[in-house]
Amino acid sequence: MTMKLLIAAMLLGTSAAAMAQSSNSTNAPPPPPSARMATQPPMADADMQAVLNQLPMLGAKPIETLTPVKARIQPSAADAARAVMRQRGLSTAPDPAVTTQDLPYGSDPMQFARIYKPVAATGAPMPVIVYYHGGGWVIADVNTYDAAPRLLAKQLNAIVVSVEYRHAPEFKFPAQHDDAFAAYAWVLQNAQSWGGDLSKVALAGESAGGNLAVATAIYARDNNLTRPVHILSVYPIANSSMDLPSHMDAANAKPLNTAMLKWFGNYYTSSPADMQDPRLNLVGANLRGLPPTTIVNAQIDPLRSDGETLAAAMTAAGDRVEQRTFPGVTHEMFGMGAVVRGAYDANQYAIVRLKAAFGIRN
Amino acid sequence: MKTLMMSVAFGAAILATPVAAQVMTPTEYVTTAGASDLYEITASKLVLETTKSPKVRSFAQMMVTQHTKSTADVKAAAMKSHVRVAPPKLTPMQQELVTELRAEKGTARDAAYVAQQKASHGQALAVQKAYASEGTAPALKTAAAGIVPVVEHHIMMLKTM
Repeated sequence: MTMKLLIAAMLLGTSAAAMAQSSNSTNAPPPPPSARMATQPPMADADMQAVLNQLPMLGAKPIETLTPVKARIQPSAADAARAVMRQRGLSTAPDPAVTTQDLPYGSDPMQFARIYKPVAATGAPMPVIVYYHGGGWVIADVNTYDAAPRLLAKQLNAIVVSVEYRHAPEFKFPAQHDDAFAAYAWVLQNAQSWGGDLSKVALAGESAGGNLAVATAIYARDNNLTRPVHILSVYPIANSSMDLPSHMDAANAKPLNTAMLKWFGNYYTSSPADMQDPRLNLVGANLRGLPPTTIVNAQIDPLRSDGETLAAAMTAAGDRVEQRTFPGVTHEMFGMGAVVRGAYDANQYAIVRLKAAFGIRN
Repeated sequence: MKTLMMSVAFGAAILATPVAAQVMTPTEYVTTAGASDLYEITASKLVLETTKSPKVRSFAQMMVTQHTKSTADVKAAAMKSHVRVAPPKLTPMQQELVTELRAEKGTARDAAYVAQQKASHGQALAVQKAYASEGTAPALKTAAAGIVPVVEHHIMMLKTM
């Protein structure tokens, strides 16, 4: 009897321990798998599916089964898109219409930003976009997310500052938010010397970076920093509720599935309470007085409901928000405009919105 | 009974340690590091065939030298650790990167090379750091610790390109 109790207590202890957040090691094991949901996601458009098909061919393993270090060396959706470009005879080299320069904004080697500048700059002050990359704060970097900032710099004749930040689990929440805020303040101090117009600063980001863009606008409002004129938030992490519709209908989507959301959270949080912090759970933040905002979502994406509920919460707070969900495409599509029509449409939509925010006619 | 109790307690102690690292096996580490070096060397030789940029040329030459050395260092450490080493082989992803580089000409190839180098060195650093901190084969762990500052230096140089 005592024995049975002892074993039961140990098993209980084990499962509770297994629920705990990861250590700071990039070798920390993945969280135990949850019950699999059988829901099959909607069909992707053929051009989107062609990109997704590349992932297993490039050797990509399911992120949710890996340690952070192994996850970081997996082929990315951007790699898959480049493989399709190459197969279609398109160049995969960075567009030479835009130059880049890497500059530090802090003392950690990860605290640097890549400044994208259009070659065709005339000397007149240019709009400035502070852009944050995605990857769930654990994987990917400014190199993975080169396509969108390069495109925005070229199409808007703007300086785009793509911010690198310290990653989890080595540095857990709120290290990434702290870096995002510090980088924004640093851009405000330096943008004029790069040829930027401080009256035309926007925030942008994809996925985890889409969260940082909104969180940074809140930070600017609360700390009397120059406020951005616009926020472009592409499929942001914005709602910590675990039973959103998209968590169910896109549970088995690619390249992002619902199990990966749990996997990322295991590494970027220190305790379950972190998830309720308004910097992560943006729908629970004070959203009043934020700049006009564009939220871009993909239909086949477990984060779709995050964007939709954030748009509703911002609208309720009195902000001017436009949200669009692009059909037939998935998470990470925003960097694939060269080979995926739905992604091209999403790019054009974002560009039109930012042109209006910057007062650019045409 | 007492033995059973102890073995249960021992088993639970292992199970209840959620922080237990799931570090790469020595073979996984050697295979990953070897493939990464081979890719660096292959890509660098490819850009050396065409580049007209002195900066790209000197960086690529340095990559060939230093990644050849790190392969040798890891191989020597693997022998000490009694880990069998198969000849390095590119992953399908690295094969694709090399194919993409080969498809570019002139300055486009230089630019693609630098972009690839920036991405791959970040990944190489992640692998070396992870094994240097918790690797299980002591000689390989020491080798990884020696490679970390070399890769960090390459990353510093790439930030100026």
